[in-house]
Amino acid sequence: MKPTERDPAARRRLIGGLATLVILWPLFQAAEVKPGVLFDPGNLKVIGNFLAAFLPPETGTEFMGYLAKATLETLAIATAGMALAFLIAVPMAYLATGAGREKATLNPVTRSLLTILRGIPELVWALVFVRVFGLGPAAGVLALGLTYGGMLAKVYAEILESVDAAPARALRHNGASRPLAILYGLIPQASKELASYTVYRWECAIRASVVMGFVGAGGLGQLMDQAMKMLNGGEAATILLAFMVLVFAADGFSGWLRRALDTPPANRASPFGWRSTLFGLAVVSGIVASFAYLEIGLKALLTVEAANSIGEFIAGFFPPDLSADWLAKVGQGIWETLAISVVGTLLAAVAGLLLALPKWRAPFSFLLNTLRSVPELVWATITALAVGLGPFAGALALALHTSGVLGRLYAEALDNAPPAPGQALRLAGAPGGFAFLYGTLPGAAPQLIAYTLYRWEMNIRMAAILGFVGAGGLGQLLYFELSLFHHAQASTVIIAMLLLSIAVDQASAWLRRKMN
Amino acid sequence: MSFCLNGVGLTHANGFAALKELTLKAEKGERIALIGPSGAGKTSLLSVLGTALAPTVGTAEVLDFGQNFRSTVALAKLRSRIGTVHQSPPIPGRQRVVTAVLAGKLGQWPAWKSLASLLYPLDIPGARAALERVDLADKLFARCDQLSGGQLQRVGIARVLYQQPELILADEPVSALDPTLALATIRLLVADAEARGATLVASLHAVDLALGNFTRIVGVRAGQIAFDLPASEVGVPLLHDLYASEGDELPVQAHESHFLPPAAANDAATRAACC
Repeated sequence: MKPTERDPAARRRLIGGLATLVILWPLFQAAEVKPGVLFDPGNLKVIGNFLAAFLPPETGTEFMGYLAKATLETLAIATAGMALAFLIAVPMAYLATGAGREKATLNPVTRSLLTILRGIPELVWALVFVRVFGLGPAAGVLALGLTYGGMLAKVYAEILESVDAAPARALRHNGASRPLAILYGLIPQASKELASYTVYRWECAIRASVVMGFVGAGGLGQLMDQAMKMLNGGEAATILLAFMVLVFAADGFSGWLRRALDTPPANRASPFGWRSTLFGLAVVSGIVASFAYLEIGLKALLTVEAANSIGEFIAGFFPPDLSADWLAKVGQGIWETLAISVVGTLLAAVAGLLLALPKWRAPFSFLLNTLRSVPELVWATITALAVGLGPFAGALALALHTSGVLGRLYAEALDNAPPAPGQALRLAGAPGGFAFLYGTLPGAAPQLIAYTLYRWEMNIRMAAILGFVGAGGLGQLLYFELSLFHHAQASTVIIAMLLLSIAVDQASAWLRRKMN
Repeated sequence: MSFCLNGVGLTHANGFAALKELTLKAEKGERIALIGPSGAGKTSLLSVLGTALAPTVGTAEVLDFGQNFRSTVALAKLRSRIGTVHQSPPIPGRQRVVTAVLAGKLGQWPAWKSLASLLYPLDIPGARAALERVDLADKLFARCDQLSGGQLQRVGIARVLYQQPELILADEPVSALDPTLALATIRLLVADAEARGATLVASLHAVDLALGNFTRIVGVRAGQIAFDLPASEVGVPLLHDLYASEGDELPVQAHESHFLPPAAANDAATRAACC
């Protein structure tokens, strides 16, 4: 035995750690991270006054009537948007995923189409569609359908790739076709993850419909916009509460669905009992009711006029402004947006993991739900008060919302991680924390890393939108140029957003491969 | 004394009585094989000995520790003296072999050492020595998901060798290994226990492995002890009695057996049942 034996991986780890520091340091600089500002007494007072105006929440009968109507509209937009997204996502995911293939093929056409769908924020899509269909929910539904279709397809594809591929491979070797191999070999392993991600996205759609309400796409967002413009803290508080109730209900629904999927099938030929049948009927009637409630004339989409006005609007964005001055400014915006997204996601990953760990879930689930039921844009208005306008406010807003999202996803992933290794270490006397670090965490790590990187890809888009309320980055540029009708400059910013999101997409995929 | 179960009963939450009024004692350094048909309660018995499950009736004492008395700190201390070889190796696929082996001493190491070892394995020679004994030294820095099922099982055994427990529990430790390797592995466990004066309790599917390597054989059936005899006194009629519910054939490991008619040992069904 050699006495001076070395771990061959140590050098690579050290270099990786140093490289991470070298990359992160300037990003933290660019995001203007100043934790001290948070505890400045003057700022604390401003926040206190702002939050005090939220009390008491508005409970007048007339307002409650509006609220109920807007809530229904938000639910309907989210549901109809998700239905559309699902229709887009299933075939796209099937085309894009490497799962169930005998030779790994990365379908580049589908993947880039998905990137474009996801890369342009739903707010920008919504702006385009509002131009075409006028103010109202149709723009919101379509914007949601396209963006979320892209996101769902990508995550579906990745979930199918992350489960054990052996069952599907065995089926294919026995002559099963690819769809059947996926249905019999992969879906049973992935169904829980797929279902909970879909329900989680539906929840996100509810929140996104608020953001789009700010540009006139209906629902609670429009109501929130009005309340904020009239500085009516009481109304804003009630709307936020309605929001939380919606998100909490969706959470309960998701939990119920996961438990239902865990129930061993009854001892009969058909796997579908009365419960599954009822559930299917409820989903279908919910979708039909949503479209009916919103009165979306889908035919309006397919007219020549619609095509013309889309064409005209898009033509206004060409050619983009590529002058050196403007490009330098956009470059600065890209760097700032990147910094906001990285810092926000990292802070959120740390906070989310800490909040996902405790065994006694109830208070922490409540906290996580509260954090994520408030949209980033609303958090940004609050953090801007706390630390002043600028990128740090954006990063903090992202971190607050994202820690709610990641905390919940982490908790679920840890819950789904194989329990045997941690159990075995506890039986060998390891303290709980180390049984977790050595036994449970390695099993859950790929899922945790995938969720974090994926969230980063979404946060890069959100970081862009946050600029709309003054939190720096590309969004701030886009907001100015759009309000000045400088379409050529706006077009450069949109292209920059798309390129940035593609770059982040690639970086994230590369990191994921590296980690595996 | 190594352990003492007195009138132990174990009823699962679903009402199934896995162990019924079972009494079993062992001195330090004894090497005991548990045999019996599947579902007899061998795994439950090992779980009680490993403090994974508390008996619902009776008293259990393990390594001079009254186990019905619960205290997390003392219990963790006790558990670090018990090593378990599991039926399927409980090792995360993404972990490196060296880390998986070192994890055996998490109960004995101070916290700083366990933490630092995640960044840089702190006892590489120790892990290598344990792996050498299971013939896997070349896989020291490999990742566990690069190993075959049998190799992974041997990593699990290396972890227990590295832990150096006073009581080794093994639940069908070699059911995933081929006959030659299975025999070598059982001999390794027995030799390790013998060399350190540790107690070894292993449940085995193959009766020939049990009779050939262990001094004391405990037959378990329907949650109770059917017989508890030195290996030399266990005869074929007794075994047929024990396995009556599983048909006429006795489950064996090796194809040629010295106490069974060769026809039975080479029978295809027997091979399918044990290999």
